[in-house]
Amino acid sequence: MTRKILGAAVAAVLTATPVLADFPAKDMQGIIMWGAGGGTDVIMRAVTPHAEKAMGAKVVMQNMSGGVGAISVKYTYAQKADGYTLLMGAENPQLYKVMGLGDVDYADFIPISMLARGVPVIVAQSDAPFDNFREMVDYIEANPKTVKFGSTGPGGLPSVVNAMLGSQVNLDVTTVPYNGDGPAMTALQGGAIDVFPVVIGAALDHINAGRMKAIAVVDTEANPALPGVQPIVEDYAEYATYLPWGPFFGIWVKKDTPEEAVTTLQAAYADALDAPEFQAFLDQRGFTPMNIAGDEAQEYLDRWQSVSSWLVYESGLAKHSPEKFDIPRP
Amino acid sequence: MMDAFLNFIIPWTDPKLLMLVALGTFSGIYVGAIPGLSVTMAVSILISFTFSWEVYEALCLMVGIYMGGVYGGSRTAVLLNIPGAPSAIATSFDGYPLAQKGEAGEAIGLSTTMSFVGGFIGIAVLAVAAPMVSEFALRFQPRDYMLLAILGILLVGSLSGDSLVKGIFAGSLGLLIGCVGLDPLTAQERFTFGMIDLWGGISFVAAMIGMFGVAEALIQLRYVDKTAVKQKLTRIVPSLKSVRKYLPLSLQTSSIGVIIGALPGTGGDIAALMAYDHAKRVTKDPKVPFGQGAKEGLVAPETANNAAVGGAFIPMITLGIPGDAVTAIIIGALFVHGLNPGPMLMIEQPQMFWFIVGCLTLANVFMLIFGLTGVRIFTKIVEMPRTVMIPLILMLSIVGAFAVNNSITDVYWMLGFGVLGYFMKLYGYQVGPVILGVILSTLIDENWRRAIISEQESLPKLLGGILTSPLSLVLFLAVVFIFVSQTPLWARFKARRKA
Repeated sequence: MTRKILGAAVAAVLTATPVLADFPAKDMQGIIMWGAGGGTDVIMRAVTPHAEKAMGAKVVMQNMSGGVGAISVKYTYAQKADGYTLLMGAENPQLYKVMGLGDVDYADFIPISMLARGVPVIVAQSDAPFDNFREMVDYIEANPKTVKFGSTGPGGLPSVVNAMLGSQVNLDVTTVPYNGDGPAMTALQGGAIDVFPVVIGAALDHINAGRMKAIAVVDTEANPALPGVQPIVEDYAEYATYLPWGPFFGIWVKKDTPEEAVTTLQAAYADALDAPEFQAFLDQRGFTPMNIAGDEAQEYLDRWQSVSSWLVYESGLAKHSPEKFDIPRP
Repeated sequence: MMDAFLNFIIPWTDPKLLMLVALGTFSGIYVGAIPGLSVTMAVSILISFTFSWEVYEALCLMVGIYMGGVYGGSRTAVLLNIPGAPSAIATSFDGYPLAQKGEAGEAIGLSTTMSFVGGFIGIAVLAVAAPMVSEFALRFQPRDYMLLAILGILLVGSLSGDSLVKGIFAGSLGLLIGCVGLDPLTAQERFTFGMIDLWGGISFVAAMIGMFGVAEALIQLRYVDKTAVKQKLTRIVPSLKSVRKYLPLSLQTSSIGVIIGALPGTGGDIAALMAYDHAKRVTKDPKVPFGQGAKEGLVAPETANNAAVGGAFIPMITLGIPGDAVTAIIIGALFVHGLNPGPMLMIEQPQMFWFIVGCLTLANVFMLIFGLTGVRIFTKIVEMPRTVMIPLILMLSIVGAFAVNNSITDVYWMLGFGVLGYFMKLYGYQVGPVILGVILSTLIDENWRRAIISEQESLPKLLGGILTSPLSLVLFLAVVFIFVSQTPLWARFKARRKA
């Protein structure tokens, strides 16, 4: 009898304690979508230590680049939905469906935090024979195929910007692919490519040091980080329909991750984002803080996917029509 | 300038920083010696760990681990024929035969001293000529990387042992293995048979551990009852005379190391293999043939891979461009600590440059000290009976292969390559060219395509580009010369000239 009571008592205690109340019970794994030293990598490594402090657990980060980030997405998706594997990524998965890189994208994940977004800038070799967007377009028109544009693969930021540019002007250029913005900017400085569209944060230092020049900011207005560089709409107002457009960076967990884990992670990264050091870092690198999660983040992701998918589809870059995946027209 | 230079001695005089460099170097040697545990991994874990520290303290630890780790890979390569890291592959070619002859102590002593020399030359170039070298490294175009990779492929000639045909077969197998996975440029699937596990390709560190470690253990099984060689322990620290003897060679191989290290996209592994080939080419009459325990074959890769450390820092400090994976992570660490590594770092914070040079020099000294102590105990490993040794090698291989990506698939790959390597060795195929092929596969694939795309897919234009650029021309002539010098035609020509 006493034994039975004891057993019942133990059972009661066990069920009363939610199993995940003490999430995280062990170290977590962070899968970074792009290579070491790139834009995504640097942001994740800068923010995560603050989140670790808030959660009291370690996030062991690992770079898993390749396939425009698709390898990291598939890998994270193949793990258990327990909140112990974080996907630390950029905007690229939202184009996988139309690009034919698989059916898994952010719709299969829960946003923990959308950390920041960036504005693209078109940079060129410092001795390129053009200084602004109109001159560049004219030069390309006069010298078809000779200007070399850098790219980071199908669905990478440069491919979308190129599609956007090509939708309004005739850009007959040679596109040379690299494995990320780091290697491409190295190639630009060595003269292997002439022009490269890249997020401002990654190129800012090189521009300020005079190692490359900014041709135009791909936005509706000039950017405070790059005063004096004209926005692209100044010469071609038509681009305003696509803008603002830009890359974003965030952290995701697999769908069906327990509520408690998601809440803990969201709170930890929201705290981390507010850390003055991280805010200063974003500011210095020309990124715009976002700090949104949940439904708000989902809305942003859906809109981004609709704008970009149709853009690349209409420029002929995409493999499949967005209609096939019920992605609405913007 | 002078104020900035004073930062050179900070790590030497501050006891706490001194201790951190020592600790880093010491643990680096052991991280480097265990196959599968890489310096890249150790440094990236340290970023979170040292997050709340002062930036100087964090740097001391990271630089120490880096320097110690690159050296540490040679330890297991010499003793067990399992390179602790890809940059120590070439060390095993002559280091392991030396250990089999009972000269493990001498081999470790020599490789330690030569690593110190190479490391020092790398640091000296970093300190004196960093801006110049980084501008030079930037000038490498895709076609130059392609030529460099072809130059690397030609090393098959010196790695294939008795039969060149078998060497070419092994090298081609390596190139094929390297092609598996998503196409690096277009993300198309190649040889993946629809399996997601193959998207990222076959981990070449797993292949390396299998082909060297497991294959070696399986070979040893054939001689289980043979007693191990007694190790001679008369001399560990090499005499000044022999250091002086190898000095001209080590200067040449260190230069190879610095330049290959400074190139973004190539690192210590390729540098060490190229240096090995260079040593084989310039050493007229080695006392012992290469591959059977030639000292030159140990000196060359060990100087080159440690010189590559200084080399990798060159573009990192001057331009914020990482020279290899470790410096890429150190760039991340500097960001985390609120610094701005990039083209402005040298101008705005020259003290950081001299501080890093100081740390590297100190780590190099500690590497020499820690490397030369305890050698006696280590050489005992080789004297262990095979019944103890073989399970130990197998266990180390399994742990190492798992540690690379925390993936059990890699362990299966490793075992598969182990069995393949065993049969290859049994039938006189060298495994070195396979690993060479895997390492160079991506480099040659990507850069050949970039080069031809840049010339609007026109071969004549690409050739024109090669012939009009001095850098490409030199590389092209080197490729032609090395190719021709390995043909029977050349041997006949030389024989006739001698006669």
